[in-house]
Amino acid sequence: MLKIDNLHASVENKAILKGLDLTVGAGEVHAIMGPNGSGKSTLGHVLAGRPGYTVTAGSAQLLGQDLLTLDTEERAHLGLFLAYQYPVEIPGVSNMEFLKASVDAVREHRNVPALDSVSFMKQAREACKAVNLDQAFLKRGVNEGFSGGEKKRNELMQMMLLAPKLCIMDETDSGLDIDALQVVADGINAMRSADRSFILVTHYQRLLNFIKPDRVHVLSGGRIVKSGDHSLALELEERGYAWLEDVA
Amino acid sequence: MSQEHIEHAIRKEYAAGFTTDIESDTLPPGLNEDTIRFISGRKNEPEWLLEWRLEAYRDWLKMAEPSWAHVNYPPVKFNEISYFSSPKAMKDRPQSLDEVDPQLIETYNKLGIPLHEQAALAGVAVDAVFDSVSVTTTFREKLWEAGVIFCSISEAVHDYPELIKKYLGSVVPRKDNFYAALNSAVFSDGSFVYIPKGVRCPMELSTYFRINEANTGQFERTLIVADEGSHVSYLEGCTAPMRDENQLHAAVVELVALDGAEIKYSTVQNWYPGDADGKGGIYNFVTKRGVAHRDSKISWTQVETGSAITWKYPSCILRGDNSVGEFYSVALTNNAQQADTGTKMIHLGKNTRSTIISKGISAGKSSNAYRGLVRMSPRAEGARNYTQCDSLLIGDRCAAHTFPYIESRNPSAVVEHEATTSKVSDDQLYLCQQRGLDAEKAVSMIVNGFCKEVFRELPMEFAMEAGKLLEVSLEGSVG
Amino acid sequence: MNDFMQQALAAAARSAPPWLEPLQAQGREAWSKTSLPTRKTEAWKYTSLQALQKTFSAAPTQAAGSPLGDVPLPKLTGPTLVFTDGHYRSDLSTTELPAGLRLVRFADATSDQAERIAAALGSAILPGRHVFAPLNDATLTDGVFMDVPANTHIETPVHIAWLTTGQNESISVTQRLLVCLGENSGATLVESFANTATGGTAFTNGLTELLIGRGAQLNHYRLHLEQGDVVHIGGVHARQDADSVLNGFHLALGSALKRIDLVVDQQGPGAHSSLDGLYLPRGTETVDYHTCIEHAVPHCTSQERFRGIIADEASAVFNGRIHIHPQAQKTRAELSNKNLLTSNKAEINTKPELEIYADDVQCAHGATVAQLDPLTLHYLRTRGVPRDEAEVMLSYGFINELVEAVAQAELQAFLKPLLARRFARDSRLTRHIL
Ligand SMILES: Nc1ncnc2c1ncn2[C@@H]1O[C@H](COP(=O)(O)OP(=O)(O)OP(=O)(O)O)[C@@H](O)[C@H]1O
Ligand SMILES: [Mg+2]
Repeated sequence: MLKIDNLHASVENKAILKGLDLTVGAGEVHAIMGPNGSGKSTLGHVLAGRPGYTVTAGSAQLLGQDLLTLDTEERAHLGLFLAYQYPVEIPGVSNMEFLKASVDAVREHRNVPALDSVSFMKQAREACKAVNLDQAFLKRGVNEGFSGGEKKRNELMQMMLLAPKLCIMDETDSGLDIDALQVVADGINAMRSADRSFILVTHYQRLLNFIKPDRVHVLSGGRIVKSGDHSLALELEERGYAWLEDVA
Repeated sequence: MSQEHIEHAIRKEYAAGFTTDIESDTLPPGLNEDTIRFISGRKNEPEWLLEWRLEAYRDWLKMAEPSWAHVNYPPVKFNEISYFSSPKAMKDRPQSLDEVDPQLIETYNKLGIPLHEQAALAGVAVDAVFDSVSVTTTFREKLWEAGVIFCSISEAVHDYPELIKKYLGSVVPRKDNFYAALNSAVFSDGSFVYIPKGVRCPMELSTYFRINEANTGQFERTLIVADEGSHVSYLEGCTAPMRDENQLHAAVVELVALDGAEIKYSTVQNWYPGDADGKGGIYNFVTKRGVAHRDSKISWTQVETGSAITWKYPSCILRGDNSVGEFYSVALTNNAQQADTGTKMIHLGKNTRSTIISKGISAGKSSNAYRGLVRMSPRAEGARNYTQCDSLLIGDRCAAHTFPYIESRNPSAVVEHEATTSKVSDDQLYLCQQRGLDAEKAVSMIVNGFCKEVFRELPMEFAMEAGKLLEVSLEGSVG
Repeated sequence: MNDFMQQALAAAARSAPPWLEPLQAQGREAWSKTSLPTRKTEAWKYTSLQALQKTFSAAPTQAAGSPLGDVPLPKLTGPTLVFTDGHYRSDLSTTELPAGLRLVRFADATSDQAERIAAALGSAILPGRHVFAPLNDATLTDGVFMDVPANTHIETPVHIAWLTTGQNESISVTQRLLVCLGENSGATLVESFANTATGGTAFTNGLTELLIGRGAQLNHYRLHLEQGDVVHIGGVHARQDADSVLNGFHLALGSALKRIDLVVDQQGPGAHSSLDGLYLPRGTETVDYHTCIEHAVPHCTSQERFRGIIADEASAVFNGRIHIHPQAQKTRAELSNKNLLTSNKAEINTKPELEIYADDVQCAHGATVAQLDPLTLHYLRTRGVPRDEAEVMLSYGFINELVEAVAQAELQAFLKPLLARRFARDSRLTRHIL
C-alpha cells in the first residue's frame, strides 16, 4: 500500500524528517507515536503535498505510484486521506457543498458514476449519524465554530464518504470525550478492510485498545527509531520516550 | 464621573512649566534670507549648507500650510517668531561640564534629566538642546571608544561633513512638506548619531529638548545613521515653560537603517500643552521618518502627552527586503489639546513586516485623531501589516477619531486593521472601587492597562516616566 | 465649467413637469458653481473622473421601444417599473399595486402628490454631501415616488429597473427615486441598474432618497449590474426617524466607473441601520463605495459589512465613515470591510473612518486585504477538489455570508448563480455552489 524510503523533508529551511522509512501493507493498521515536535504531523503533510514542505531526499509510493510528483488533489484521487490534527475552518463554504465537491471529484477520477443529489444526501445523513453529528452541521460553514471534538468527527465523516485507500489520522483521538472516542473507533473499525490501510498518529494507547494495530512505531527526531507490536504502545505508556533517546 | 472632578483635572498644573532666568542671545522675530544667513553665519557653516538652507527657504515660500489634519488653530504668524536663541553664556561653548552655567544644570535637574552624575547612574548619554542650541553631550568619550559618533548636528557639520552631506535630507527631502521645508531653512541644532558597521551602541542615547525663551521657535534636526548590522536605541524627551503665546516646534528626524541594522527611537513628548482654555502651548509640527534597508528594523515608540497641537507621523519606508517597521504610540490629550498623529508604513521590499499599535486617550474637551497609512506596493511580495488602534474616551466633551488609509497593490500582501473606541466603563470603575481604589487611582490603572502594550516597548527608565506622566496628565479627570 | 459639466446640463433640455422647474433652476445654479473634484479632493483621492472625458449627449427624447434582449434582471412577483434611457416603459412594467401602496411617476403626479414630492425631494440629502446632486436636480425630468402610508405593510417587493441601451453612442441619463415610509409601515424595495449589450455607453446620475418614518422598516436592495463602459455616479441618501430600521444590501459589478455614496442620517433615537455590500470589479473596472452613517441622536445602532473581490487590473475603493455626534450617546456602531485581491495588478484602497464626539459609545471597525488563504485552498485539495474549483468555491465563499443574508428569497435565487458565475464561466466549477 504505502512505501516510504529514506524520506527527508524540511520546512522553512529547517530539516524535520531525516531519513524516514515506513512500509504499510494493504489492510494493515499502523500506529505512530512520538514526542511533541518529532515530525508526525509533518509526515502527514508531506505525504499530502502541503505548500511550504520541501522533500529533500527519499521517495514515497502509494499503490505503486510515486506520490511526491503528484498534485495534492491527485493524491486524494489515488486514495490518500489525511485527517488533520487541526482541521481548517472555511466560513462561507457549507459543509455540504464541500463534501459533495470532494465526493464528486474523487468518484470522477475513480471512474465511478457520480452520485445524484438524493443518494448523496442519503449517504451524508448516514455518515452524520455514524459519527454522531447533528445534520445541522451539514449546513454550517466547514468546521466554522465547531468544537474541537466536532471538528475531529467532521474529519471522520469526510473520510467515510470519500472511502480512501490509505487513511492517515493525525491525533483524531485528541480532545475527544470517552463517548466520542468510542464513536471514532467504531467508525474506523467499520471501515477496515483488506484493501484499506490506516496510519493512526496518537499520543494515547487507549485508542489502540479500541483499534488493534498491526504495528506500532516511534517517530523521534524525524526518523522511525523503534517499531514493534501493540505491546510497544503499552510500554511507551508506562515508560515515556526518554529510554528511547539512546536509540535515536 | 463627577463634573467637579473633571473641572479639577482641567485646572491641573503643568509640572514642567517653570522658566529659567538665563541671559540669552535671541534673534529678533522675523524670517527672510538674512535670518538664514545669520543662523548659518553664527554656526560658521560651510557655504554648501547655507545654499541648502536658502533653497529650502525659497521652496517653503511657494508652499502652503497643510490643512488636512483634524486640528484647528489660528494661522501661525511666521514673521513674529524668533528663529534663533542661544543661552548667552553658551556663546563660547563650554569645554567641559564644569563650565556649564550652573543655572542651566539646575534647569535640567528640575526636569529630572539625568544629565551629569544622574546620567552616569542611568548609563544614559545625553545631548541636551536648550532652545535652539545643543548645550552639552555627555559620555562622548565612552561612545568614541566604541566608534559611535553622538554629537550636535552643528558639530557634525564641521567634523563629519561627508556623512552630513550624504544623509541630511536623504530621508525627508527639503521640499517634503511645509514644515520640513521651514525646518530645512532655519534648523538651529539637534543631534547626530552614527553607529559604525556591526557595532551595538553600548548605551542608550538620549536627547532632551527644551524651549525656554518666549516667542522662539525650535527647529531641531536629528539624523541617525545605523550602518550595516549595527544597533542603537535612542530616547528623546521634550518640555517647555508655560507661556501665554503659542510657540512653534517644527523638528525633522531622519533615520537611516542600513542592511541588517536596528534603530529603536523612543519619545516622551511633554511640551507645554497650554492652559485649560487652550491659551498658549506648543504647536508641535514634526516630520519623522526612517528608511529601512534589507533585513533592518526601525521601531518608533512614542508617548505624547504635551503640546497644544500635535501634527506628527513617524513613518517607515520599508525599502529593503525583509525589513521591519514598528510604531507603538500612546497619545493622551486633555483640556483643549488637539492631536493628529499616527504613522505611515510604506512597504516596498519583499516580505516586509509592519506592526502598528496606537492607543489614543481623550479627556476634557480635547480632540485626538489617529491617522495612518499602510501601503503595499506592487513589489511587496509576501508583505504583512497588523494594525490595532484603540481609543479611550474620558468625559463627554472630548473627541476621538480614526483615519486609517490602506492601499494594497499586491495580492500576496496581507493587511489587517482593527480599531475600537470605548469609554472607561462604569463597571470597570465600580470593580476597582470595590477593591478599595479611589476613582482616580482606578482610572489611572485602567489607562495604564490600556497602554501596556506600548509601555512594554519603552526602555525601562522611560516606561516609568511615561506611566507617571499619564497619571499626572489625567490627575483628577474622573470621579 | 469644463466640457463634461456643460454637456451634462445640455442633457436637461427635455421637458419636465412645470412644478419641477424651480428645482431644476436651483440645480443649474448650484451646478454652475460646482467645480469637479480632482484627485486632491479627499473624497475622490483614489478615483479619477477620467471616464467623464468622453462626450455624453442627451438621451433620446423617445423611448427606444425595442425589446430588452437578455439583460440580467431579477424576476420578482410584485410591481415592476422599467425605465430605459430615462423613459418609462409601460410595455415592460407591471403596475398592479398591493393594497395601500402608492407608486407614481413624477410625470403623472397629481397636484397634491406633486406638492408632496416637491416638498420632500432633496430633503434627505445633507448639504454639500454629494457633488453630483445639483446635476441630478438640474437635469431631472422624471422620477418615481414610492409612498407607503402609516401602518401599512407591503409584503411583495417593489422592483424598479433602470436600464440604459445607449445605441452606439454615449448618453447621459438622470434617475431619481423618492421613497417615503409612514410611521410603523414596512416595505421591500429592489432597485436594479443594468445596460443592454449594444455597444453604446451611458453616464447615469442616479439618486435615491429614503425617508423612513418612526418605527418603519425598509428592506432596500440596490443592484448595480451595469457592465462595460457605463459610468454611474450617484448614491442613496436616507433619513431615519426614531425606532426605524433600514436594511440595505448593495451590489456593484464593475464597469468603467461606479462611484456610489451611501449616506444614512439617523435623526430619531432607537434607529438601526444595517448596510451590506459587495463589489466585484475585474478587467480595468473601477468601483468606489463611500458610506457614511451619521449618528446624530442617542441610542442608535449601525452595522456595516462590505466585501470586495478585485481581479485583473481592476481597482476598488471603500471608504466607510462612522460619525458620532456629541449628543449621540449609547451608540453602537460596527463596520467590517474585507478584500480579496486576485491578481498582481489589482488594487484596493480602503479607509474605515471613525469620527467620534460622544463618550458613551462602542464603536469598532476592521479592514483586511489578502488573497485566498493558501492553506485553506490546500485543505480542499487534500479532499480531492481540483484547484480551479477550490478557488471558485473559496471566492464565492468569501461573499456567500452576505448573499445568504439576503432575506428576499427570489432575489437570493437570482443573485447566487449570477455571482457564482462571476468567478467561473465554466459551469463545472460552480456546480457545487449552485
Ligand atoms: N511552518 C513551520 N515553520 C517552522 N517550523 C515548523 C513549521 N511547521 C512545523 N514546524 C516544526 O517542525 C517540527 C515538527 O512538527 P510536527 O507538527 O510535525 O510535530 P508533531 O510530531 O506532529 O508534534 P505534536 O505531537 O505536538 O503534534 C516542530 O519542531 C515544529 O515546530
Ligand atoms: Mg502533530
